[in-house]
Amino acid sequence: MTEIQFGFVVFEKCFHCNTLRTYFTAGDVLILGDKYREGDCYWSRVENAQTFQFNLTCSRCGQVESFGDLMGLLHCTGCLSECKVEILQRRYEIEKTWLVVGFGFLPKSDQTLVPGYKLDILSDYFNQRRNTSRSRIKIVPSYLIEDLSCCKGDFIHDVGMLSSETPSERKLLF
Amino acid sequence: MTTKDLIERLGLKPLSKFEDRDVDGVFVSDMMSDVMAGAKSGNLWLTIQTHKSIVPAANLVDISAIIVTSGKEVPEDTISLASRYDIAILSSELATFELVGKLYGLGFGTK
Repeated sequence: MTEIQFGFVVFEKCFHCNTLRTYFTAGDVLILGDKYREGDCYWSRVENAQTFQFNLTCSRCGQVESFGDLMGLLHCTGCLSECKVEILQRRYEIEKTWLVVGFGFLPKSDQTLVPGYKLDILSDYFNQRRNTSRSRIKIVPSYLIEDLSCCKGDFIHDVGMLSSETPSERKLLF
Repeated sequence: MTTKDLIERLGLKPLSKFEDRDVDGVFVSDMMSDVMAGAKSGNLWLTIQTHKSIVPAANLVDISAIIVTSGKEVPEDTISLASRYDIAILSSELATFELVGKLYGLGFGTK
């Protein structure tokens, strides 16, 4: 990983149309609950998650693959037995391969999906760094989740880190 | 040194079912983003974080074992998930600083 930049993914929700949108900021943490209007939408910040952006650079040829369009990786909690991600996870678990879902920034309608080849590169990156583990990682695209509003997956990012207490619960974002 | 060796030498309490592995280096952080960016395969991860998402974070970077320090209580769903992934979650009553000192005394450094 190169060009690592720590920052925040900000989750904002419109309480008029119930749209969730996200963006990355490397600046100061934004205040939760801040509300503002944009056209017909009334946005409120519902979560700040500490995360990072990065590039992957090939150590042989120097080719750089930017992952600035990757919002985060989501761990499937198996909340919906008929969800394609959960179905795939049950199949792969037999081979000790663990799925995470690669998300682009939301809303889904506006996002440019993270291309499949980049998710494959990232999967390879994590798998080639496994020295002795018999398990593997597979990063799958977010379009496998048909209805985000039903998803109770956990993003692998840091929330509540500015609290004096260790966070134990998370808000449902979708 | 393996995970089981460490359990014995440091008096750690295993909470999950796990695959015994060689431990290679130590990573100390309470931020999953930090672990994903900086930890190496085989590292021990020392943290006070107990939310279940520490398990997939550890799995991504091939952590050999997670040691939850300061006697923090680990929720059952975190332990169950770790058992499913065969990742050791170990508990220590010691503060992170003290445990790092003991690990350093055993010859561990960062990779």
